[in-house]
Amino acid sequence: MNAITLDNTLPQVFLQRTDIKSDIWRRQVTIERGKTYLIEASSGIGKSSLCSFIIGYRRDFDGRILFDDKDSHELKTADWTLLRQRHISLLFQELRLFPELTALENVEIKNSLTHFKTSKEIEAWFEALGIADKMQSPVRLMSFGQQQRVAMIRALVQPFDFLLADEPISHLDEANSQTMADIMTKEARRQGAGIIITSIGKHMTLPYDKTFSL
Amino acid sequence: MKLVWKLLRRHISLPQLAGFFLANLLGMLIVLLSLQFYRDVKPIFSEEDGFIRPDYLILCKRISALNTIGLGSVSTFSQKEMNDLKAQPFAKNVGAFTASQYKVACSMGINGVAQFGTEMFFESVPDAFVDVDLSKWHFNEGDDVVPIILPRTYLAIYNFGFAQSQNLPKISEGVVGMVEMTIMMRGNGLNEYIKGRVIGFSTRLNTILVPESFIRWSNARYAPEADTEPSRIILEVKNPADDAIVNYINEKGYEMEDDKLDAGRMTFFLRLVSGIVMLVGLLISMLSFYILMLSIYLLVEKNTEKMRTLLLIGYSPARVALPYQLLTIGMNATVLLLAIGGLCLLRSLYMQQLWSVFPQMQDGSILPAVLLGIVLFAIVSLANALVIRRRINIIWNNK
Repeated sequence: MNAITLDNTLPQVFLQRTDIKSDIWRRQVTIERGKTYLIEASSGIGKSSLCSFIIGYRRDFDGRILFDDKDSHELKTADWTLLRQRHISLLFQELRLFPELTALENVEIKNSLTHFKTSKEIEAWFEALGIADKMQSPVRLMSFGQQQRVAMIRALVQPFDFLLADEPISHLDEANSQTMADIMTKEARRQGAGIIITSIGKHMTLPYDKTFSL
Repeated sequence: MKLVWKLLRRHISLPQLAGFFLANLLGMLIVLLSLQFYRDVKPIFSEEDGFIRPDYLILCKRISALNTIGLGSVSTFSQKEMNDLKAQPFAKNVGAFTASQYKVACSMGINGVAQFGTEMFFESVPDAFVDVDLSKWHFNEGDDVVPIILPRTYLAIYNFGFAQSQNLPKISEGVVGMVEMTIMMRGNGLNEYIKGRVIGFSTRLNTILVPESFIRWSNARYAPEADTEPSRIILEVKNPADDAIVNYINEKGYEMEDDKLDAGRMTFFLRLVSGIVMLVGLLISMLSFYILMLSIYLLVEKNTEKMRTLLLIGYSPARVALPYQLLTIGMNATVLLLAIGGLCLLRSLYMQQLWSVFPQMQDGSILPAVLLGIVLFAIVSLANALVIRRRINIIWNNK
């Protein structure tokens, strides 16, 4: 997949509103593979909705979302499963980790599906993000910042054309968010993938090709 | 898969599953046992198997004192009476007993040494009414052996009444077939011999039976003048419980050989009771299915968020459904195996009892009951798997 096109897209809850000034809603926007994007927004303007629309979790929008030339409305269950496994990786704002599993198991449950990374590579990431000692701890006992890093590793153990990170560093300090940015960029470069970061204020320091204001 | 199971096994309620398991086991066992018991016991009442056994009645005319001194009405059935009976809505088929009209004497022995002899008679009915394997049941003019069918009660009387009290060995149907009979027929100035061989035992026909072709030939040869109107007829009815039969028979002044109808009634009741028991078993099975479905609904409800996340990180609905499907199918399979085991155990208990009373009983197969169990297992498992998959699809569609 080389491009995601938002064609006149608008969440259905905003249909009645006439005061929307956005670089994305109701516009023609193409997001290309290999480039890095930042989407800035204040809360309540549909940032997480956009992520849900792209990953196929929600379909309550007007207009079209195209993956290359394919309309997302035409995708079948199996197509969405494949898209989530091979083409688009989402780092959820609410993380969506499994509290009853350990940090490592949370990553492995994804890697056992994709068989994408070796345990050595996964361990190296834990090491780099400073949570190697928490690998065997249940994720529910970890702080939100630590959980954010686990969720990031889980988002990276799959092949992808686009990495979608919904407020990835809201609870991280400067040093950790820089490490995370480095790891993310390195993996995306290696795969030739595009990166889309959303943020409501504090954002990762990355060489962005384009910044949208939602 | 291991991790997915670790996630999804949370909130599984053991008491609920145990309740389902026991109820399903009980239901399955009752269903299988009722079918098996029906199949095992039925041959005691009838040689034929299957649910739609035709029912037979044997009719004769009432014998009064006037008949004895030769003054009463005729005790034979005319062709007109038989046609009238055949035209009744409850009648399926009517056949006449044709009796031998000449003197018959028979001596029995092994290896040509005569053991004992007696005067006797023969009767025949159309082949369609004979409830014994018909492959040896034919006679052509010139044959030197005539096949004979005896009533099963004769063997029972010998085995249980006579042999037991006289310390004689009990004999099986097979041994009787080896006994050679010499039959002497006299009439029309002739005195001839023929060999006879018992080829089977009838539960339905309480007489000494030979093929119809033999009776026709021998009556023509030894008693060409005699009148051959039948004094007994056999009637195949559509439904032995039909009131019209009793009314018709009373109105015409016929008599019915009661034990035949009793056997019919017994088979009918056996079928009825087995049917009711099987229905109860099925009901319990259905209720257990309902318990399982409720339990699965609750489980899916409690684990909805986890399943949704699995779907969002790339698991297919089929893979998310699989652990619960395997769980239910595994339980159903265990129930099936235990039910078949229980069936074999209980069957061996009641078969011992039956064999001590009916030693000639053949050991039937448990295959039909096992097949029924497999069919039930397949239906229940398929329904389980579909329902689980539908719940996952609802989560997928984010409703």
